[in-house]
Amino acid sequence: MEGAYLNNKSHAVPYLIVIFIFIIIIVLQGSFLSLFLDGGIIPDLLLIAVICLVFLWGENRGLIVGLIAGLFQDLFFGPAIGFFTLSKMLVAILAGAASREIYRDQIIGPMITVFFATFLHEIIVFFLSDFFWGIETGFYYSLEKLFLPKAIYHFILTLFLYPLFYRAEQKQFFYPSFK
Amino acid sequence: MNQTTRKVIGLLGLVIVLLSMIYYTGVFRSHYTFAEDLLLTGLSPVQGFFSRIGRKTYCFFQGMFDYERVLAENEMLREKIAERDNLSYKLLELQKENHRLREMLGFESSVEYSLLPAEVIARDPSYWFETITINKGYDDGVKKDMAVVTSQGLVGSIYYASKNSSQVLMLTDSRRAVSALVQRSREPGSIGIVEGYPEKSEFLRMVNLPPDANIQKGDVIISSGLGDVFPRGLVIGHVTEVEKDQYGLLQQALVEPAVNFNRLEEVFIVIEYNNEISGGPEDEPDNETEVETDEAENGGEDGEDDEGEILSGT
Repeated sequence: MEGAYLNNKSHAVPYLIVIFIFIIIIVLQGSFLSLFLDGGIIPDLLLIAVICLVFLWGENRGLIVGLIAGLFQDLFFGPAIGFFTLSKMLVAILAGAASREIYRDQIIGPMITVFFATFLHEIIVFFLSDFFWGIETGFYYSLEKLFLPKAIYHFILTLFLYPLFYRAEQKQFFYPSFK
Repeated sequence: MNQTTRKVIGLLGLVIVLLSMIYYTGVFRSHYTFAEDLLLTGLSPVQGFFSRIGRKTYCFFQGMFDYERVLAENEMLREKIAERDNLSYKLLELQKENHRLREMLGFESSVEYSLLPAEVIARDPSYWFETITINKGYDDGVKKDMAVVTSQGLVGSIYYASKNSSQVLMLTDSRRAVSALVQRSREPGSIGIVEGYPEKSEFLRMVNLPPDANIQKGDVIISSGLGDVFPRGLVIGHVTEVEKDQYGLLQQALVEPAVNFNRLEEVFIVIEYNNEISGGPEDEPDNETEVETDEAENGGEDGEDDEGEILSGT
């Protein structure tokens, strides 16, 4: 019975656990980290978590994870519903395509993917913001002063976060048995 | 139709749906959706809890690593309080005199506020959107577009309100601009627009100033009251630099905000205000929530209520 449950990867329980983790990340990011890093760049832990899960769960389930993460970010802080849902979903799709070619047991693969995914995510957010509300920051300025430091930041953070998700997956944390 | 084509079509459909949702909810809506309201109502106490823990931890470490500076600052603040105490007695006398003279001339207070205190429980972590979340919502009488201030000056306005929390759009956000004027000259011709300055995020920018506007370094910038969102006379900041705009036709000024947007802990929502300059009927606060009635005029330099807190300038 338990084996059948573990093999059924479309089961809702892992997604419910992921939603719970995402809510904790969003709350910590908005209320705890923003205090310690006032004026500085606050890392997008949600984005790192999405890429890690895309690597561990594959592109189809990763797409759903990206959608969920973006939707919850929209519900808490988003300027509009669908804004981060779209950006995180697109990033999850591309990270999923990359994960097909990269070995998931070596940490450098997810780290490099997170680095480029951060750029992609921020570029999508930049153009969406500019299209819907208009922003005055120049693209090249943003690329150098905002996107690059954030990408480096995320690259380093993945070194610590990916092993956590990897270990959780290995220990079946996302597939609890209710005996 | 093979599986890949179906996937691509499905994905394109999803992108179109999401873009339409962004357009609808980001441009047209005036309040939270039901799902947002429900989630934020349930989780606002959790956000408040983590925010308080974060603040306490931050204060603990700051005190530990910065003990000598905190001690020196404490000493300096004690001296400042003693000076302010002395000044407040003088101010009280001036307020009474001002009140008496206004009564003799038949004038009323220029601006009257009713303030609702609120705690900051979260901040948008992205750098494109400068919003904070506070722990007061429509159950407390908070509505969209109400001004939000601190004792230092203007913070922004309510963007959306849920049952027990609200999102505040700060002045530094590119979606928010406020009509402002120079406190010293108060010339109608010196009205400009204050907006965020993304490339110098610690500053604001006052644009659209006429070439002959009477503005100089050190001037205090206050809200003009035009647009009916912000009450007149709220301090925004002071000018640190004046220059021609990129076309050389108008002037623009770099403004250092009176409020530290990165370290907001408690704010006040302007529940009601009256922008009358003279003569008009005096509004009475009619909400039943916990409010403080404050009165200020001339950019917060004078007020007439002895018990009220004065929203003073820098």
